[in-house]
Amino acid sequence: MSPPTAVELRNLRFRYPDGAEALRGISFSVSEGECVALIGPNGAGKSTLLMHLNGILPDRLPAVPAVTVFGRPVTEDNLAAVRRDVGLLFQDADDQLFCPTVYEDVAFGPQQFGDDASVPGRVAEALGKVGLSGFEQRAPHHLSGGEKRRVCLAGVLACTPRVLVLDEPTSDLDPRGKRELKELLRNIPTTKIIATHDLELVVELCTRAILIDGGSVVADGPPRTLLGDEVLMLAHGLERPHILQHHHPH
Amino acid sequence: MHIPDGFLDGKTMVTGAVLSGCALGLSVRQLRRRLPRRRVPLMGLAAAFVFAAQMLNFPIAGGTSGHLLGSVLIAVLLGPGAAVLVLTAVLIVQCLVFADGGLLSLGANIFNMGVVGGVGGYAIYRVVQKLAGGLRGVIMGAAFAAWCSAVLAAVLAAGELALSGTAPWTIVFPAMVNVHLLIGLGEAAITVLVVVAIQRTRPDLVDPSAPASGPLSYRQVAAYGLLISLGLALFVSPFACAWPDGLERVAETLGFAHRAAAAPLAAAPLAEYRLSWVRSAPLATSFAGAIGTVLVFLLAFVTARVLIPRTRTEPR
Amino acid sequence: MIFSLDPHSRIDSPVHRLPAWAKLAAALALLVATVTTPRAFIPVGVVLIAVVALSRIPVLFLLKRLLLLEPLALGVALLALLQEGGVRIFALIVVKATLCLLTVILLSNTTPFADLLRVLRRVRVPALLVTTLALMYRYLFVLAEEGERMRRARACRTYGVGRSHAWKSLASVVGRLFVRSTERAERIHAAMCARGWR
Repeated sequence: MSPPTAVELRNLRFRYPDGAEALRGISFSVSEGECVALIGPNGAGKSTLLMHLNGILPDRLPAVPAVTVFGRPVTEDNLAAVRRDVGLLFQDADDQLFCPTVYEDVAFGPQQFGDDASVPGRVAEALGKVGLSGFEQRAPHHLSGGEKRRVCLAGVLACTPRVLVLDEPTSDLDPRGKRELKELLRNIPTTKIIATHDLELVVELCTRAILIDGGSVVADGPPRTLLGDEVLMLAHGLERPHILQHHHPH
Repeated sequence: MHIPDGFLDGKTMVTGAVLSGCALGLSVRQLRRRLPRRRVPLMGLAAAFVFAAQMLNFPIAGGTSGHLLGSVLIAVLLGPGAAVLVLTAVLIVQCLVFADGGLLSLGANIFNMGVVGGVGGYAIYRVVQKLAGGLRGVIMGAAFAAWCSAVLAAVLAAGELALSGTAPWTIVFPAMVNVHLLIGLGEAAITVLVVVAIQRTRPDLVDPSAPASGPLSYRQVAAYGLLISLGLALFVSPFACAWPDGLERVAETLGFAHRAAAAPLAAAPLAEYRLSWVRSAPLATSFAGAIGTVLVFLLAFVTARVLIPRTRTEPR
Repeated sequence: MIFSLDPHSRIDSPVHRLPAWAKLAAALALLVATVTTPRAFIPVGVVLIAVVALSRIPVLFLLKRLLLLEPLALGVALLALLQEGGVRIFALIVVKATLCLLTVILLSNTTPFADLLRVLRRVRVPALLVTTLALMYRYLFVLAEEGERMRRARACRTYGVGRSHAWKSLASVVGRLFVRSTERAERIHAAMCARGWR
């Protein structure tokens, strides 16, 4: 028996208030335990798509939504439950780290979800997972880029989501930061959807890749097949990652 | 013009704290009802913006520079209720983190700059903006209100210092206000330039009919008006009314003449000079202020004329 | 980072270990004593010197901060000179203002701002104001750096232009900074919602 469906998109469309069409009918579903990469050039609609997975977009949720999370359609009534299930890591760590101390920031989610007694334990556990125990009282503006990203991740993990949605998790990180973050993600068994330009991360971590361009799905398949297709990659502003070069029979 | 601690006496500090406490209460009540939930983070970001904007120095003559104070700018962009909250936050952080402005004088400082600058400045802005109408009105109103906010804050600070017995009104009023007649010009220029710059890229942010923090009810307008008049009455009017009238002045001069006759000859001219200077300075300052008000208003009018054709012809 | 906010607020000393509310209350008491009573400055001075010694904050740092802020106070105090008995009033004001300044500098450098915010929350300061303060403190330097970067980029392109042009280009930097702040506020709102805020 195949694992249950975690996230399902059925003909998802989105138009920005200024009229620009960002998503032109996207459909795919992600099963529990998968690690799916969303790849595509800048402006392909990846970030916009991710914002739909927990109902941050659109501003007014439709009565019959295109997105379903663990069987629940993303409606106004289901919003709290959906946001609990879907943990979203944003692109800019400064936007996500809005509290004056690391502890308060990681505790923010659990406090909103309303189980006050378990908050300190959850914070400690989440910080432990990202290797930042002891950083509780640090101020975000004193952290390095990699540390900021990991605190953001801890803030998401502290809410114990069932799907992790990550927007460019390795952007702006130095090589060591990238390596540490990849190791971290590898050890988190949760279902993951990762939008990224880091194609090596896709090959190393993901079980499936979906190529999006111009607001539509262009290709969907195993990362090595998709990313190894040089013509396809170049046609959509990407390139074949270096780690795949020697696998290619020249 | 952050008044440090040690300059104000108990009654002045308590009065200032009560007045701005009430204004802050009003503002928070209004925001709780009218501010959309998604705008809540904007309050903190706007406060950080004021701080960051103040760090950018505008060159003036001879290597000196000035910077934005920002109360009217925030009032124009976010509305009066938000302006009080945002400026209060700015002044609290400046005091507690940078020790700029006293902790006990915080109430007075919030009143001078946040309440009078934010709400009073907004009222002036709206009146001018409605009279002139359109974008021209926005520019005229912002310029005039920005100048007024700087001058009014100085007048209030002078009154508070005089009321505390720190320095006599006859000295502190001209000293503070004359400087701020000029600082106000810089404030008006920066405010207008910034408003125009924002209007060009995001006209929706400078829409005078829809301030981000929601409209004020008539009761709130009345309450803010009462608070500001009360502040002016308590801090400024004791001195404004105490200026010697004609008869009194003659008598004093005569009395002085008696003493002057007895005094050593050399000291007399200086003493007389100082007395007449001291006596006339507040009057002269008020006079300069009145003329300045008219001039700045005209200047605001001209500025609006000069700036508008360009913003109209440019594509958005 | 351009400069650090309260560089000494997290060192370990007996003063730093005191609860934030106690330090805030003590600072207020010292300030009130200094300002309202004419002869309190000697005991207050003694207390402050003791705090400096216990807090392990470098004296040179405190002196620098004092010197940086003192001119602002002196400017106003000079006005007091121009009256009868002005010298005495002037001296008194300068001493009082200096003690008050030192008190606040010590408070901010022995107590992290986040702790002060927690005290404010506990004494029922409106949540909206505390949230605004917290966000302002968090994004102070994020925005200040953004503004400085934009100013530098502008300065490279507008080098040697007249003053009125410089003003216009600076104003457009300030304008853009505001637009960016509103956009960041929207992204922060999204991030708060994503973690269950409503």
